[in-house]
Amino acid sequence: MSDSDTSIQETETKPVVENQQELPKFEKDQSDKITAKFGSKTEIAFVKPDRIRVNVKKEDILDVASFIRDELNYDHAESVTGVDFPADKEIEVVYHLGSYTDPQLSRQVLSLATRAPREDNPNPSNDSTKLPSLRDIFYSVEFHERECFEMLGVFFEGHPDNRRLLLPEDWADLPPLRKDFAIKGR
Amino acid sequence: MSVIAPKFRLGYFLKSLTDNIFWIIVLLTLVGIPAIMIVLFFIDLPVLDGTLLTPFLAFTMMFHPELAVPVVKSLLYSDFFRIAAFPGFGFAALLAAGTIFAERKLLAKLQLRVGPFYCGKFEGILQLMADGLKLISKEIIIPAKADKPIFWTAPILFVATAAAFVSLIPVAPGWVVADLDVGLLAVFAIIGFFPIITILSAWSANSKFPFIGGIRALHQMVSFEIPLILSLLGVVILTGTLNLSEIVESQSNYWFIVFLPIGAIVFFISVLAELERIPFDLPEAESEIVAGWLTEFSGMIYGLVQLGSYLKLYAFAALFVVLFLGGWQGPMIVPPFPAEIITHGIEAGPITVQVPGLPITTQEMLNGTLWFTLKTVAVIFFILIPRGVFPRIRIDMLLSIGWNKLIALAFINIFIALGLLYAGVLGPGGLL
Amino acid sequence: MTARLPPGLQLEKVDDRIMTLNVGPQHPGSGHMRLIIQVDGDRIVSCDPDPGYVHRGEEKMAEYRNYITNIPHLERPVIHDSCNILYPYCLGVEELLGLEVSERAKYVRVIASELNRFTYTLYWLAIYGIFLGHSTMFMWPAGDRELAIDLLEKLTGARVTHSYFVPGGVRNDLPANFEDVCLRQINYLEKRLKAYADIFYDNPILIARTEKTGVLSREDAIRLGTTGTVLRASGVDYDVRTKEPYDVYDELDVHTNVLKNGDSYDRSKTPWLDMLESCNIIRQALEKMPKSGSVRVKLKPNPKGGNDEVYKRVESGRGSLGAYIVSRSKPEPYRVKLSVGSFRNLICMPYLLKGEKLGNMPAVYWSLNYWPVEADR
Repeated sequence: MSDSDTSIQETETKPVVENQQELPKFEKDQSDKITAKFGSKTEIAFVKPDRIRVNVKKEDILDVASFIRDELNYDHAESVTGVDFPADKEIEVVYHLGSYTDPQLSRQVLSLATRAPREDNPNPSNDSTKLPSLRDIFYSVEFHERECFEMLGVFFEGHPDNRRLLLPEDWADLPPLRKDFAIKGR
Repeated sequence: MSVIAPKFRLGYFLKSLTDNIFWIIVLLTLVGIPAIMIVLFFIDLPVLDGTLLTPFLAFTMMFHPELAVPVVKSLLYSDFFRIAAFPGFGFAALLAAGTIFAERKLLAKLQLRVGPFYCGKFEGILQLMADGLKLISKEIIIPAKADKPIFWTAPILFVATAAAFVSLIPVAPGWVVADLDVGLLAVFAIIGFFPIITILSAWSANSKFPFIGGIRALHQMVSFEIPLILSLLGVVILTGTLNLSEIVESQSNYWFIVFLPIGAIVFFISVLAELERIPFDLPEAESEIVAGWLTEFSGMIYGLVQLGSYLKLYAFAALFVVLFLGGWQGPMIVPPFPAEIITHGIEAGPITVQVPGLPITTQEMLNGTLWFTLKTVAVIFFILIPRGVFPRIRIDMLLSIGWNKLIALAFINIFIALGLLYAGVLGPGGLL
Repeated sequence: MTARLPPGLQLEKVDDRIMTLNVGPQHPGSGHMRLIIQVDGDRIVSCDPDPGYVHRGEEKMAEYRNYITNIPHLERPVIHDSCNILYPYCLGVEELLGLEVSERAKYVRVIASELNRFTYTLYWLAIYGIFLGHSTMFMWPAGDRELAIDLLEKLTGARVTHSYFVPGGVRNDLPANFEDVCLRQINYLEKRLKAYADIFYDNPILIARTEKTGVLSREDAIRLGTTGTVLRASGVDYDVRTKEPYDVYDELDVHTNVLKNGDSYDRSKTPWLDMLESCNIIRQALEKMPKSGSVRVKLKPNPKGGNDEVYKRVESGRGSLGAYIVSRSKPEPYRVKLSVGSFRNLICMPYLLKGEKLGNMPAVYWSLNYWPVEADR
């Protein structure tokens, strides 16, 4: 058994340098299909090996999601993440989509991101922080969107069951994953 | 000041001693002696040497040691002793306690555990006593909206019914609390009380999970009583009697399990369901309905229900022995009582003591009790074993087993018994 | 008179026929969660899962701590599977910080995560046994689990909360003689696992009770976005270890167990088959592992990620476990999201329990391989 001190090698930590290699082909094809269909409505944020990220406006998300489901064969959502950007006055919701049926896509995770306006004094379900729900397109987002609603106050229009999920029923504070909800002592 | 009793005065100490003595004497004369007298007057006192044993004579056995054995013997044959101790409650409770201990150790060995280990010097043998003490010392909590009188009486009724069941079991020739000519019918009648008590206690708790458990218990017990009764009809047909002692005596040559194995199997499965043992413990299925109809019981109320259910377990195992395994029948293995003790007395060195009233019990009684206990323990073992092997089944599966399969098997068993009877193999005037 | 209720609460209507049961949070048949079940006689009319009793805000906490100090608290959701829940986080942070993990560390990670699959699945199996009233099946896995725990204690120093994976490798090297002990205990565990089949999986009562209950068809499993054992029991061949191999899983021969009925029995059998497969994986990993070499990359204090985001997945005991990390050039992550298998399988619960008998509730509920603490995070 080697001594643990000697087994640790000294390396510098550095952020990943943006390497200008050519983009992976399969993923590039996928993103090209989306661009060809929707043009400037969508913005391909990045194309990495196995990962694509598509930014869309909230008006177009239903169309893009239907296209992704029907034409690109993504069939389920792995997670729905809300990210708060107070500086932009926006809340981003990222759908991570995957596919079980298409063996070509089994490695792929497509991030479909959209943004909702953010209000400083949130009143969940009654303010402008609203997005269309993707539940009719991807059934599996049901509970994820409920969690996103209570954690960030993003109301999903068209969701059949917009109730609290994890938080207590009488939670009357800010949605806790917003940046202005501070943890005590930190 | 760190002495143990800082305010100790010798005078106070002596005063407390005399106080205690005074109160003991007062209570003994006012309460103790009348109580003893009342008990002695209520017990049927025997006739000894041509004179009735009065309480006065009974007390003189302190000064006449030769009276001790006859008095003990007379108590032994009194109804009170039969009900409270030997073939009745005490014997059954002892076996039930043994069953609980054996169950826990057996299950532990099966599951690669140790089981109760620390309480008592030997293998945690006093664990049950400790658990009982704990249960007694716990607070009894009654739900606020419960129907209190029924909720209180249900566990007591449960134990009482189980004890009534125990009283019908003949342990040895002549040793039975209630030797009824309709013994088996009485058994059916008493079994019929259990679902009523269960549903009453479950309903009176006014809580959802006990209610579901009680409904389940009702379904289960009622639907398994039918195959249980039908499976015993074969035995009744072959013996022509409902008296349990006579049923045992008729098995002196062959046990009925030889001729009626299907009936025995049906009876055994029905017993498992009646006892709510795994795999039929749906009324207490803890992952579905918390603890079923026992959910709201706490403290000694729960302890009483447990006592009752283990008494019931003993009674059913004993009933199986009586009906199918020949009861007390078995080869004589207890040595006869040495006759010279009666004729010559016990020689201890230079002194020879003549003890009147010996022997206390007969050889047949000891032998019968031994065989009966051995067989009952074996049957209890088979009732306990499934707990380590089977998961719980579902209520619809249970009811379909009871109504479709077991009743059909019980009827087959009846036809076998009728065939044996009309072929002249068994029964009155049969070959065997 | 209408009583004032806190926002979000509502009075329920009382029906003569329908009885509402609160299964949990103080109920022996629920975990740290509540199932609001409405029964009509013995049949469940509707089921509304109410998780959140053990919500600890791990994701919020992660935004306040730097990449390294996040490790001990991020494993809390599943302390029995703590290596696997840290795995995607570590993979993600390594990509963000540009760390290269040594070959030996990758193998050690595979061994630790497969051992952790043992500790989790045996715990799960024990509870599944007692949920079905099979007390022997509660005691046996709970006892045999100690072997895997002992191995992990030898390896990491802690019995359950290991904090063993760090960005850039694992915390420390294998102890002396670990390979031999591990091989011996894995062989014994495999023998014990086969004994479970005799007493549990081949038990006629168990088969009669759990077969054809809570059937999740292949189409529904895909539509509901289930994952892990639930998905594979429904006949979908999807395992992140084979479909998107991370670390050294592409060098190992991993067999994916797929059953096709999608009922409670198949869902409960798939984890058991996975454990048998884990034995093979550990044996292969022990054989192929480089005998020496470093296991950890030394980091500077407070490393900063770029302006980037990653989404990494691993296969945990409960299914695909993803970590989505958004970095904004700070020592702390801007947002960490754990996409856990339990939470994804939660959606099956109202779907499967509707129309089932009340007696099937524990069998269906626990066969979903649902860990309430992990779902709440």
